[in-house]
Amino acid sequence: MTTRRQMLKSAVLGGGATVVAATALGSLGPEAAFGQAAPDIEPGAVDPNFAEGRIRSIKDNTLLVLGSNMVFHSIRVVDGTSLWKLGPVSFDQAKPGDGLYARGVRMPDGVLAAESVWLNIVNIKGHIRNITGDKLHLDHGGKEILCHRIPGKSVAIYSDSPPSADLSPLRVGQHVQILGAWRPDTNEVDIATVFSAH
Amino acid sequence: MHGIAALQPYVIGLVLLWASLTKLFSARMRAEAGRTALARLAGPARAVPALRLAGALELVVAAALLLPPVLPVEGVAATALSTGFLAYLAYARLTVPESSCGCLGAHSRPIEGRSFARAGLLLAASVAAIWAGPYTGGVWAALVAAAEVLVLLGLSPELDRHWLMPLRRLVVRVRKPLAPGPQGEVPLEVTLRLLYRSRAYCSASARLVSDVQDVWDEDGMRFVVYAAREGLAVFAVPLADADPAGVRVALVGEPALA
Repeated sequence: MTTRRQMLKSAVLGGGATVVAATALGSLGPEAAFGQAAPDIEPGAVDPNFAEGRIRSIKDNTLLVLGSNMVFHSIRVVDGTSLWKLGPVSFDQAKPGDGLYARGVRMPDGVLAAESVWLNIVNIKGHIRNITGDKLHLDHGGKEILCHRIPGKSVAIYSDSPPSADLSPLRVGQHVQILGAWRPDTNEVDIATVFSAH
Repeated sequence: MHGIAALQPYVIGLVLLWASLTKLFSARMRAEAGRTALARLAGPARAVPALRLAGALELVVAAALLLPPVLPVEGVAATALSTGFLAYLAYARLTVPESSCGCLGAHSRPIEGRSFARAGLLLAASVAAIWAGPYTGGVWAALVAAAEVLVLLGLSPELDRHWLMPLRRLVVRVRKPLAPGPQGEVPLEVTLRLLYRSRAYCSASARLVSDVQDVWDEDGMRFVVYAAREGLAVFAVPLADADPAGVRVALVGEPALA
């Protein structure tokens, strides 16, 4: 690993290759999980290249997922698949019980070959009811959600500023949007990004 | 003991007066009547009349309690009203758990344990008021009544924004719970946002075919590796600098990695 990293480091710092040509490819960042569906889907129709649900079991490189509409999906994770769980992670971080959104290409046998898998991703809005220790107590439609700051991972974006690891300007009573990773079967979330209007 | 009971009609009377006045005269309460459990139970069209009826009932009982003479029947009426509150809360909690209570003013919070505690305390005070005689003085009785009023106010979610929120803000200001510790690890998201704004990323993004595959920090730089059509794209992002011009990229072909 080290020699490979050293080689890559010298490639980028030593000048590296120049970049030519361009083709289209969408973002793979966590925000893309909540992006718009592909435009060629009929309104109301099921997007065949998308799946959501919770992982029931994992066999080799295939996730067996039970959707919220009680439909089973087989999702194959390949070398090029991007997995997100509070940040880019490797396949071994996917655990039974995790919720997921997956986007990819539906194979003829019904298996979804995943391009991107977002594990436990949640996007919630609410008022900060209280701040204690490393936690924001979020009032989300009357329900309390405990949002944990994860040092080295959680960031806050104040208005249009660049993201900051400093969450201390957040105030009790203010409205925020939180992108994070749900801790399965709890009301707790690990914060990836807090969006604050000010 | 008699002194404490003697002050109960006034405690209950003041709470009921407040409740009735908000129901009868608060424009905000009328505007948000549709969100209360009363509206869900009585139907949206009857929400405001039902709210007014409840307010009028509370006003009558409050007036009877606050004005002389002191009669046991006033305590009985307050007990009946408090029992009604508790039954309403329990029924609303079971049937429309997401709606607000509409008890003492407009707010959007669903019925919670504090609402039950407040109604329970009101019921206990009402039962005590049945045996109330004329107040003959007594510091302890006055202190108990004052404490009771404070507890009732503390149990009112409607008032949280006036005392609980400022109190929590003060505690946060003093204790600084989210204060950044010693300069720790820079979150990947900070690096990626800087990366996305850089010319290096703009020129290479169309060739990327994966999300971040590898990240490590070395010599004040963070190296971020993506899979690219030709092999790998390696970005070097300065950790301390917020200027995207410092970001560099290299596309490395698979043969070079072999």
